[in-house]
Amino acid sequence: MLARIAQELFWLGRDLTRAEHTARMLDGAFHADVAGAPGERGIALSWEGVLAIIGAKPPAPGEQATESARAPAAAFGRAEVARLLTLDTASPASVVSCVARARERGRTLRDVISIEMWEALNSFYLSLGRYDLQAALVTGPYSVYQEVKERCALFWGLAERTMLRDEGRSFLEAGGRLEEADMVLRMLRVAVPYGDGDTGDAGHEGEALAVLHAVGGLHAYRRGVRYAPTLPLVGRFLLYDSAYPASVAFAVDALRAALTNADAQPQSSPPVLRLGRLIADLELQRRTLDGAGPLAETLERVQEELEHIDRDIGDRYFAIAALAAVHL
Amino acid sequence: MAQRARNGYTYMLMTTDTSPDPITGYAVPDGCRDELLDADGSPRPHAAELIATLQRLGPEALTAAGRRRDTIFMQQGITFEVAGSDGARRDRPFPLDLVPRVLPAGEWTTIKRGLAQRIRALNAFVDDVYHAHEIVRAGIVPWSLIVSRPSFARPVHGIRPPGGVYCHVSGCDLVRGGDGRWRVLEDNVRTPSGISYVLENRLAMTRLMPELFAGHRVRAVENYPTLLLESLQAVAPAGDGTPTVVVWTPGSLNAAYFEHAFLARQMGVELVEASDLVVRDAVCYMRTTAGLQRVHTIYRRLDDDFIDPLEFRADSLLGVPGLVRAYRAGTVAIANAIGTGVADDKAVYHYVPEMIRFYLKEEPILDNVQTYLLTDEKQRRHVLERLDEVVVKPTSESGGKGVFIGPHASAAERQRQAELIEGDPERFIAQELVHLSTVPTETGDGRLAPRHVDLRPFAVFGDEIRIVPGGLTRVALREGSMIVNSSQGGGSKDTWVLDDGTAMDGGGGTPRIPVHRPPRLPDIRYGGWHGQEQQQQQ
Repeated sequence: MLARIAQELFWLGRDLTRAEHTARMLDGAFHADVAGAPGERGIALSWEGVLAIIGAKPPAPGEQATESARAPAAAFGRAEVARLLTLDTASPASVVSCVARARERGRTLRDVISIEMWEALNSFYLSLGRYDLQAALVTGPYSVYQEVKERCALFWGLAERTMLRDEGRSFLEAGGRLEEADMVLRMLRVAVPYGDGDTGDAGHEGEALAVLHAVGGLHAYRRGVRYAPTLPLVGRFLLYDSAYPASVAFAVDALRAALTNADAQPQSSPPVLRLGRLIADLELQRRTLDGAGPLAETLERVQEELEHIDRDIGDRYFAIAALAAVHL
Repeated sequence: MAQRARNGYTYMLMTTDTSPDPITGYAVPDGCRDELLDADGSPRPHAAELIATLQRLGPEALTAAGRRRDTIFMQQGITFEVAGSDGARRDRPFPLDLVPRVLPAGEWTTIKRGLAQRIRALNAFVDDVYHAHEIVRAGIVPWSLIVSRPSFARPVHGIRPPGGVYCHVSGCDLVRGGDGRWRVLEDNVRTPSGISYVLENRLAMTRLMPELFAGHRVRAVENYPTLLLESLQAVAPAGDGTPTVVVWTPGSLNAAYFEHAFLARQMGVELVEASDLVVRDAVCYMRTTAGLQRVHTIYRRLDDDFIDPLEFRADSLLGVPGLVRAYRAGTVAIANAIGTGVADDKAVYHYVPEMIRFYLKEEPILDNVQTYLLTDEKQRRHVLERLDEVVVKPTSESGGKGVFIGPHASAAERQRQAELIEGDPERFIAQELVHLSTVPTETGDGRLAPRHVDLRPFAVFGDEIRIVPGGLTRVALREGSMIVNSSQGGGSKDTWVLDDGTAMDGGGGTPRIPVHRPPRLPDIRYGGWHGQEQQQQQ
């Protein structure tokens, strides 16, 4: 498959997953904002936290960085962040910008993805244009986020059902999974403080709930763990529990499977090898809970490793297309 | 009311009701032929059933279907960009008219034979131009005219592609005058576009207006991608296994990108851009995730000028350096071949009937529109005297650019055109104005009115010439207008070729498939389920 097309598919997956996670995160932040925290401390994963997570992300190809999105987070509250990240077409990190980019990629990829997938993408984009943000902010933008979640699910469902399970499908999947792991890791890193993360107290309970809300995993946690959510437990759940599909462990597993499918020689592929090591590491740490050191440091290490993997994917599969672009 | 609905048109004819029937109550413009209605307003035999269905449905059903059409096209992204009054570009749904154009089987057979003949002659002409020059030596086409065409391609002199096929894909524009005769208005053997709309229109019509198809056997169009792929594979240089075919697009910003992606998707091949292709040692490859992969046939959708900066325009960023070298070495086939533009030039058009007689020793089945060469002193004087009656076209333009229509021009415009012709007669040709035939067309409120149409059938030339039944019918949506280009207020119609059971394709013809009887399947005892249900209810 063409390297340029593979890269577009990879980023189509990333853009959509980013849109979905941003919507879920904002939904969670609204919830925390309204419901308030049980403890006396504020929630780290609130407006500034959300902006820090999104704002620090390296730009996607085709994304024009603007100053507004990179502005210091301190001065921002609910109205600014919600505007910036939801329906602001000028802000590259907003949900609508992610969807617009995904749709633009879909337009280029119309010969590769199925017709139904393209139509889902196109009507997703058209439907977001209908919303009036000011009105939505007054009543709570719940319906906007709900629509984003549903439309993303529709797209992935159609991909599952209608797209040939070939190399292209694998790159689409790989992009989505890499972004998923990355977003969850960023969220956890903002929420879990260095040092005292392992001592569950009441202040952290609100934080833990906020994180679960922000990935849409409260119900799964309740059924899977059956302990009251504390930050260390929730952190471990989202990092190690490969039974939960938005966990880092599940995402990297799926990422490796996708790359193994896409690669003609996965045995000698640097990203696949690196992923193998990361998966083994995660498994080891999960089984030897105390030997791994503080959670915050583990999160940092995993995220660094993920960045290496991202670079390796680019080098192995897409560099040949980038080479041509330079020569032009 | 029910009486009127059942035979609406006879009712119209027999009464002096002053409110006209919304479907057939219109006047055909003078000098034109309406393809669905007679001169006296009654449906032609092949359209009677269609008109009756339209009358039964009524204007409300048509407007409702029109709204559904716009929603569906927006959602599917079947749109084209138009500049609004404020200069911003917007996507508009492609204007498909809901009333199909219907061609009887016999008429289509004539068109098909005429086109195949014409394409064989054009193909022979291209081969001749780049090899033996026989038609020049016979004194039929002047060599000076050929070499002065901008699309004459020196770099491919002496190259003969596999099978001697140059015009793999062609789409000639046909029109029908007031006398009912079909004529060729223009040839296009470079990169004719519009086939994607033929297929999408048919699909949309079956969804929007399924009632119209009842009682008709309409010949299918959806096998075009298969025909195209087979032809492209047939002309590939010999090699092991299945040849790799790609569609080459200038990029996603191109106006016809929708069609490029459509064809790639329908054929299941890669859609490449210049940056995806690379030539090493006179062999063409594409850059894949697994390294370089050999390419055998390129269906290119960009002009000769841009394909190779080493041989044509050096400033082309869309091209692949060395591609012509690979082409010359015979390691890659390019469709359409390089240099075919010399055959569809408007100044060469005049000679096509002569080409048919010269190369094929046959009489042309389809006529040209009467054309005047302005380089000829006598013909030029004749044209300049009748400038208010004729059409003047620049020879090396396409897409309706720079066309001068005498009857619609002001005195000042005529004066300017006359000066242009006097200044450089070689740049123009003049043609008699053809009063394009009309087909009833929905005008926005559910009522029908006559609008002018042309027809672009699509032919594919691999082992043999195959033509998809029908083609793209373009319609001028503005009243009285004869300009059908979509950039200038044109729309399109689904084109039906009726199947009367005699028309056969592919020379020998395909035998009718016997009625298939499904095999006996193991008995499924529905009764058992009912039984359970009943038990549960008890």
